[in-house]
Order: sequence, then C-alpha cells, then structure tokens
Amino acid sequence: MVSGGGGSAVALAPGRLADRNFKYYMIFPAVLVILLIGLFPVIYTLIISFQNLTMMDEDTSFHGLMHYRALFEDARFWESLLHTFIFVAVALPAELLLGLAMAYLFLERLPGRQIFVALLVLPVVTSPIIAGATWRLLFDNQFGPINQILGWFAGEPVPIIWLVDPNFVYPAILIAEIWQWTPFMFLLLLAALSNVDKSQTEAAELDGASFLRTFRLIVLPAIWPVMAIAVLIRALDLFRLFDVVWALTRGGPGTSTETISIYAYVAGFQQFETSYTAAMAFVVIVILAVSITLVLRRLEIDR
Amino acid sequence: MARLSIRGLHKFYGKFEALKGIDLDIAEGEFCVFVGPSGCGKSTLLRTIAGLEDVDDGAIDIDGEVVNTLRPRDRNIAMVFQNYALYPYLTVFENIAFGLRARKTPDTQVRERVGRAAEMLGITALLDRTPRQLSGGQRQRVAIGRAVVRDARLFLFDEPLSNLDAQLRDGMRAEIKRLHQEIGKTTIYVTHDQIEAMTLADRIVLMRDGLIEQQGAPLDLFERPATRFVASFLGSPQMNFMPCRLERRDGAATIVFADGRTLAFGAERSADLSAHEGRDLVIGIRPEHMSRALPDRPPAAGAAPISVLVDLVQPTGTRTYAQFRIGEVEVTVELPAHIVEHPGTTIDLLVDMTRVVLIDPKTDKVLSNGTGETG
Ligand SMILES: Nc1ncnc2c1ncn2[C@@H]1O[C@H](COP(=O)(O)OP(=O)(O)O)[C@@H](O)[C@H]1O
Ligand SMILES: [Mg+2]
Repeated sequence: MVSGGGGSAVALAPGRLADRNFKYYMIFPAVLVILLIGLFPVIYTLIISFQNLTMMDEDTSFHGLMHYRALFEDARFWESLLHTFIFVAVALPAELLLGLAMAYLFLERLPGRQIFVALLVLPVVTSPIIAGATWRLLFDNQFGPINQILGWFAGEPVPIIWLVDPNFVYPAILIAEIWQWTPFMFLLLLAALSNVDKSQTEAAELDGASFLRTFRLIVLPAIWPVMAIAVLIRALDLFRLFDVVWALTRGGPGTSTETISIYAYVAGFQQFETSYTAAMAFVVIVILAVSITLVLRRLEIDR
Repeated sequence: MARLSIRGLHKFYGKFEALKGIDLDIAEGEFCVFVGPSGCGKSTLLRTIAGLEDVDDGAIDIDGEVVNTLRPRDRNIAMVFQNYALYPYLTVFENIAFGLRARKTPDTQVRERVGRAAEMLGITALLDRTPRQLSGGQRQRVAIGRAVVRDARLFLFDEPLSNLDAQLRDGMRAEIKRLHQEIGKTTIYVTHDQIEAMTLADRIVLMRDGLIEQQGAPLDLFERPATRFVASFLGSPQMNFMPCRLERRDGAATIVFADGRTLAFGAERSADLSAHEGRDLVIGIRPEHMSRALPDRPPAAGAAPISVLVDLVQPTGTRTYAQFRIGEVEVTVELPAHIVEHPGTTIDLLVDMTRVVLIDPKTDKVLSNGTGETG
C-alpha cells in the first residue's frame, strides 16, 4: 500500500508513513526474541510430552496422550497439586492482610520510619534458599531458638519436631514463606496507599465514616489496581513454590508437603522421566494460563 | 449553629511553630474569614478546629464544650477542601449522601435531603455522574453540597475558590454568601485573597506568621489598620508607603519628603499629631485618596496639593492607574478613566489628608489613622 505511490501528492506519503512505522521496526527484533524465548520452551515442552524420553531411552516416536493419561491417574500428582493450593490459599491472604496492616501502620510519618521500612524489606532481598536454611536452624527441635522461646512461656521444654510432625510442618513452612514475602506486599501497598489523596480520607472522617467504610468506598478502589497486580504476582509465585519447602523439608515427611514444582523437579531431574515431566509442566502451564486470563478479565485492571 | 472560642492555641510541626498563640471568638451565625499570605497558618488553624490536626497547647471550645480530644467525626463539623476532595469512585449523589449514610440516615430522608441540596446548588442533573465527569465549578458545587446536606454546626471552607478561573470565582463567591444568608450557619472561610475576605466576611481575621495581626469588621480593618502589614494587605492596588518627616510649618502639621516636597494637614488632624512632630515616619496613602486638582475650584478642607511627574499610565477601563515617584518610591494613584495625560507630563494632585495613615518605621505600628470614612 505504501510502495509505488503514483502522483506527486502521494510521493510525500511513503516518507511520512515510513517515519510512523519506524518505531515498530525498532521494537520488532526485541518482540521477536521475547516471543521466541517465551514460546519456544512451551512448544518444545508440548512436543516432548507426546514422546517418551527418559534418562535411559531416547524414544522420540509419537505416543499421543499416554503421559497425560498416566498423569491423570497419578495420585502423587494430584496430592502435590492439592498441597500447592493449600499453600496458596493460606499464604496469599495472610501476606495480603499482614502487608496491608503494616502499610497502614507506616503511612503515618513516625520517627524512624525509614529505618524500619528498610529492615522490614530485608526478607525480600534474602535468597529464599538461604532464608529457608536459616528457618531450618530456627525450627530445629533440639537447638532451635523457637522451641527454646516457646519453652520459656510453657515453663517446660517444648519438644515440637517442627519439620517432621504432620501437625506442625505446614505451619512451619507457611511461617517462613509469609515472613519472606509479606514485605513485598507491604512495599507495594505502602506505595499505593501513599498515593491515596489524604484530603479524601479526611473528608470521609469529617463525614463520620467508620474506618471500614472509608476503606471500602474510598481507599480500596484507589489502591485496587496495584493490589490486584501484587496479589497476582504473589499468587503465581506461590503456585510455583519450591525453594522454601525444599530447604525446609524437601517435600517431606514422605511426600506430605510436596508442591507441584517439587514433584516436577523430582520426576524430571532425579528420576529423569523427561517426557512425563514435560506433560506435567504443560498441564501446570495450562492451569495457570486459564486462571490468569479469567482473573485479569474479572479484575478489569485496565479501566 | 455554634459559638466558637479559641484560647492560647499553639501548634508545632516538629520544631516549626505554625500557630503561636491564637485567641479568637466567633459568634453564632457569623461569617468569619481567615485571611493572610500563603504559609501564615490559616489552613493549620482551620484543620485544628476540624480536628484533623492535634493541638500542642490551648483550648478549642464549641458551644461551651472543649473539643480538643474529640475525633473529627464527633465534632459535627463540615468542611470544603481546597481540592474539593470528592470521592472519585462514587457518583455525585453518593458523594453528597456519604455523610448521611455514614450516620445511618433512613433512605427516604437521604434522597430528600440530597435532592434539596442539589436543587439549591443547581446540580440536580449531575447526580448520576462521577466527579471525573464534572468541570471545576461543578465539582465545587458538589463539594459544597456534601457539606450543607449534613446538619453540621460549623462550616469550614479552605480556599474553596482558588482553583477556579476568575469569572467562575466571582459567581461562586456571591453564591457562597447567599448560601450563608439562607442557612445562617456559623462559617469559617480561609482565603489568601483580600477581595474575597472583604466581600464575604462579617469579620476578618488577618493572620501573619502564625499569629492574628488584627481582627474586626472588614471596613474597620480597611479604614483603621493597626499595622503597616494590615494597611498594605487590604486594598487593591496597595496602599503607597513613603518615608517622610513630620514637622510644624505655618502652624500646621506638615509631611516633608526627602526631596523637599510637602503635604500639609488640616487644622483638625494637626492638633492630634503634635506629639509626633519632628519624627521620621512613614506615610501611607491609598491610591484612591488622591485626585486631580481642578483649577477652577478651591481644594476641599484637609486636601493638600502636590505636583508629580507621571512616568507610567495603566488604564483598566473603569479606572486608570498612574505612577510617579516621590524620592525613591514608586507611587500609584487611581484616577477616572479619561483624566490622564501621557507619561512625562506633570499633573497636580490633591491628597486627602484626612485619610492618610502615619506609621512608626521602627515598629511598623500605625500611629495615626485617617478620620474620614471611605466613601
Ligand atoms: N504537615 C505539615 N508539616 C510540616 N509543616 C507544615 C505542615 N503543614 C503546614 N506546614 C507549615 O506550616 C505553615 C502554615 O501552613 P498553612 O497553615 O498550610 O498555611 P496557609 O496559611 O497557607 O494555609 C507553613 O509554613 C507550612 O509550611
Ligand atoms: Mg492553606
């Protein structure tokens, strides 16, 4: 449409149009690279999941849905999915509410605010594996300070075996996870809250509105976009939860705290069921893609 | 309706003292305007009354009850913010109804009262919109509606017109005054604009650096300023201030400028000024208190002639401002639109000596105010 313009009036057009399209030419390579990096593994995973690769066997012939069928009957897979959902369902609201409460607390210009904010953000910048290892020491049933401190309150030695006892292993992991990622929520929500026009909340205060009413009608709509994104990021992160659990329990005792990521890791890189793992990964990708699309549509972030 | 009484109010922001001891009484139904230059503490004072800021010392008393420790919501005060502070995610109706709903007013009553307020402010057609879809003037009305719909005992306005353009501002100013006449509620209005203050106020509280410089009826402050600051703040164009000496010449108290020119007082003020004779003073003359001398008519009693060389002429349509120099000082005179020569001509002026003020240059206090009434 652009090339080969006829008259002299049109002769100007190619130059103008080329100018306008120039920016697209400039970002095209980057977009292409990103698409390749993003799409290639997905497609490659899909292809492998139809084959039958293992450590022993380079069987690249087409096996159809064999692995998907096996996956469907694999109790360990469903359990790991359930464990993952439990972690998401508990940690996500906890991190959100704690982060929000902390953000509200630090909204006031308290003395020493900056130092406290900096300290509170430390967990986020700690490597999860290191944080996990530290928590492992803290939870140690003989030498860990947590049992020690609980013992002071109880007045007798507390023998909780945190990382083995089925009643305590989930709380232990969740405590470590929430400790590490609440500050992330806190930071984003603090930024969002500081952007809420203070005179609006003051007007509501003069109007006689309760804290909850002010929050629901004035603050929440204002911080909603940021909050939704923060929740989404954390939800995705939690769904892939690996390192804290790995550092604390390696999915144990047994497979009772095994998340989908840990199971995939074990299946793929310890048992080398490559194609089976690929199928698992692809199912996870589909689950995530579908739920993200639904959630984004519900959130109407782009309003 | 409420009486307000403030005693010894101090407010610190960290080490900075924003209010340095405010004493103030506002009568029931009064329209009181806090005016003063930016940063003098007007908003701070208003916000302490509303309860949005804690006070560090002193008492705020509404209807005989000290409210210092009452939360804002329990003070039953309505406030219009400078940026309107409308709730962006609620409709105009819900914005206005917000305070009523928060106080659990029955729905039928909410609808009736919001309807009445909207009608009074002419925004009935806008009730379904959100604030985003309104113009500045419309937002202003909604903000006022939100305040009046509640049966608050005190209305506070913090520079409500400063975000509007000049034309809209004049209209809204009149409307706010009418609203006050209709509702009759005690109102405190903050502005840095002296014209708003003069036109709206039953009483002006002129503030400066965290203190009340002078308070009183608008014309009181205008005609009998206590300090040079008050004299210069009220009136537009500003009062002219010129250094001078007060001497007795030919039996009359006479202003003598450094360049030798003189202005003689009439007999009446001469007697009152004898105490200040021989002192270096500052004379303050309002631009409208000088006029062209008419050759065929003798000057009125108390008017003093002076010849000046005009160096700048600014017509505004209704009046024309001419400027000339006395010593180092640029002086403005307000003249009828057409009776002005071009720059570079010398004209004869008559100064109404019954209205000039004399100021002590060391303390900036006014030593002697004019006796004439502003006509
Ligand atoms: N929250 C605050 N923290 C620190 N200083 C403040 C705060 N609010 C106002 N001030 C200072 O107090 C003084 C009075 O402010 P304000 O009452 O807003 O003045 P204005 O007369 O313009 O309304 C100003 O010097 C201002 O800088
Ligand atoms: Mg202000």
